[in-house]
Amino acid sequence: MTTETPMSSDVPNNGAGSGLELRNVSQVFTSGPFWNRSQNVAVNDVTFRLASDPSLITAVAGESGSGKTTLGRIMLGFQRPTSGAVTYGGKDIASMSSAERKQFRRDVQAIFQDPYSVYNPFYKVDHIFMMAIKRFRLAKSGDESRHLIEEAISAVGLRPAETLGRYPHQLSGGQRQRVMVARSLLLKPKVIIADEPVSMVDASLRATILETLRTLNHELGIAILYITHDLTTAYQVADNILIMYLGHVVEAGEVESVINAPKHPYTQLLVQSIPMPDPNRRWADTRSRGESPFAGETIQQGMCPFVNRCPDAMVECRDSLPATYHVDSHRVSRCFLHVDAGTTGDRDISAYFRNRD
Amino acid sequence: MPPVLSIRNLQVHFNIRAGTARAVDGLDLDLGTGEKLGLVGESGSGKTTTALAVMRMIKPPGVIVDGSSIMLDDRQLLDLSENEMRQVRGNDIAMVPQAAMNALNPVRKVGEQIQDGLVDHGVRESKSAMHDRMVTLLNQVGLGSHVMSLYPHELSGGMKQRVTIAMAICHRPRLILADEPTSALDVVVQRQVMETLEDVRTAIGAAVILVGHDMGLMAQFADRIGVMYAGKLVELAPVQQIFANPAHPYTRLLISSLPDTAGKKPLEGIPGLPPSLLAIPPGCPFMQRCPEAMDICATEAPKLIGDERKASCHLHTEESLAAP
Repeated sequence: MTTETPMSSDVPNNGAGSGLELRNVSQVFTSGPFWNRSQNVAVNDVTFRLASDPSLITAVAGESGSGKTTLGRIMLGFQRPTSGAVTYGGKDIASMSSAERKQFRRDVQAIFQDPYSVYNPFYKVDHIFMMAIKRFRLAKSGDESRHLIEEAISAVGLRPAETLGRYPHQLSGGQRQRVMVARSLLLKPKVIIADEPVSMVDASLRATILETLRTLNHELGIAILYITHDLTTAYQVADNILIMYLGHVVEAGEVESVINAPKHPYTQLLVQSIPMPDPNRRWADTRSRGESPFAGETIQQGMCPFVNRCPDAMVECRDSLPATYHVDSHRVSRCFLHVDAGTTGDRDISAYFRNRD
Repeated sequence: MPPVLSIRNLQVHFNIRAGTARAVDGLDLDLGTGEKLGLVGESGSGKTTTALAVMRMIKPPGVIVDGSSIMLDDRQLLDLSENEMRQVRGNDIAMVPQAAMNALNPVRKVGEQIQDGLVDHGVRESKSAMHDRMVTLLNQVGLGSHVMSLYPHELSGGMKQRVTIAMAICHRPRLILADEPTSALDVVVQRQVMETLEDVRTAIGAAVILVGHDMGLMAQFADRIGVMYAGKLVELAPVQQIFANPAHPYTRLLISSLPDTAGKKPLEGIPGLPPSLLAIPPGCPFMQRCPEAMDICATEAPKLIGDERKASCHLHTEESLAAP
C-alpha cells in the first residue's frame, strides 16, 4: 500500500500536470427575470483531481440536485464553470488550442445514464463507432476499422456478430449501455466519466456493466469518475468517494470507511437510508429527518447547507460555512464537528485519497 | 384466514402483428388480509402487467385470456361490468403509481384533485366536512393542510408521491397496488415514502402488492416475495427464506448479483437475456441462462409446487421445499 502523507506538503504530492483537475470550481445557475433573480449554486468551490497515475475509480454520490452531474459536465468541458479552472495535463481546458482540445476530447470520454436516448434510432449501432473512427482518423482501411470495432466490442463482453449491423431497438438496455462503453474504449481514453451508467438497467445486467468498468480500470489503467446516487454500487466499484450535498463536497475519502463509518451527519443519514438487501437489517426505528430542498429552492449562503436537517446542528453552523477538515489520513469532512482535526487549507481533496493496495 | 385476493391461472396476452406475446403466462397467487407481498422481476417479466390485470386496466392489444380468474374476497373481478369495476377501483383496490409527477394534473390544485376522487366515489358532504376529511388524509401521509392549495409543481417528488398515497387510501381500500412507488426518488426520500406507506397501510389494515425490481426495498418492506420470470412466478416464499435460502436458481443469481456494503466482491451478473415473450420455448423459460439446467428442463415446464415456500424448478420436490 502506498501511504501518502498529505500533511507533508502544501502542494498535492502527485504534482499538478497529470490527470483532470478542478481548482476552486463553482457553478452558479441564475434564473428568473431581472427584478427577481434567483441563484442556484450547483457546485460550490470544489478542488479535486482525478489522477491518471495511478488511475483509480472515484465515485461522486449524492441526491438529485446535489450537483454531481454538473460536476461531471464541468469535467467533460461541456459546461464552463462560473469561477475556478479545469485543467487537463496542466492546461486549462478553456484556453486549449484546437489540437489540444481534440486530444482532450479523445482522452476524456463520457458514458451517460440513458442507453436509449444516446442513439439515433435510424442508424445501425455501427454508426457511432464509424463516427469516432472518422473524427479521429483511427483507421486507414475498412478492414482495419472493422477490426478495431470488433476488438472494442469484445472487450466489453459482447459478441461482435450479434451486435454489429443491428439497430439500437434490437439490442437490450444492457447491451446498448455496453456498446457505449465499447465506443469510449475505441478511442483508448485515459479518463471515463460515467454518469449513472447503470440506473436504467436491470439488476442482473447492472453487475456485468460495473464489472466491465472495473476491468477497464484495473487492466487498461483508465481513470474513472463514477457518478451515482447508489451508495452500494459506489462501494463495490470505487476506491474513493465524494459525497455531495447541494453543491458542496461534504465528505470524501476512502470508500470503505466513508460508507461503513461515515463522519458527516449527511453521509450518516444517506447510509442509514440505503435499503439493504437483507431482511434482517431493516431500516432502524430512528426516523429520517426533513426532506432535501428541491430544485429551485435556493439555499442561504454563508451557512452549512445541511443545517436545517442536521441532528447535530450547532450555533456556529448557521453563522458560517464550515471549512474542509481532514478527519483522518484518508478522509475529509466539511462539518464543524471535526473542527479539531484542522483544515485542509487549499489542498485538493484527492491528496487524501487512498491508492489501491 | 381467507385470502383477500386470489388469482388463478391468470394469462394476459398481447396480440401484436409479430404474434402473441404472453406477458403473464398462467399465474397463481393468494394474498392474505393485511399482507405485504413484493413482486419482483426484470423488465418484461410481467410484474406490472399482473398488477394492471388486477385493476382490469389492461389496454388493447392486451387481453386477459378466458379461463383466468381474479377473486377479490368472493367476487370474480373478471365478471364485473365496467361500471361495477369502476367502483371497485378506488373503493376496494387502489393504485399508487410509479411516476407521481405524471399522475397528478399539473393545472389543478392538490385539494381539488383529492376532492375529485372523493366525489367520484359517492362522498357527499358539506364543504367543511370535506375539508376536514382531506386535512386528516394529508396529515396521515405526513403533509400539512397547506398542501391542498398548492399546485403539483410546487411540491417535491416525495411530497407528490405522498399525495398519491393519500388519494389511494381515501376510501380505505382492502388492497393497495404500489408499482415502483419510489423508483424516481432519492434514498432518503424513498425511505420516508415507504415509511409513510407502511404507516397508512397499518392504519387501514390493507394488503399491499409492491411491484419493483429493487431487492433491497423488498427486503425492507415485504412479508413475502414473488419472483417473476418470463410471465411466470418462479418462486414465492417468505422474505427471510428468499434471502437466506433461495430455492430457484434465478432467485439465487439475482440475490448474489446484488451489491452490498459488507466487503468488496466480484460483481457477477446473470449472463444471457430472458426469452422473447413471443416465442417462449417449451420447458423451463430460464433454462438458457441456468447454470444447473438438466435434460428435463428443455422439454417439461416445471410447475409451481410447495406450500409455504413455492418454487417452479425441477431441482425441487414438495419435500425439498418443505425442508428448512
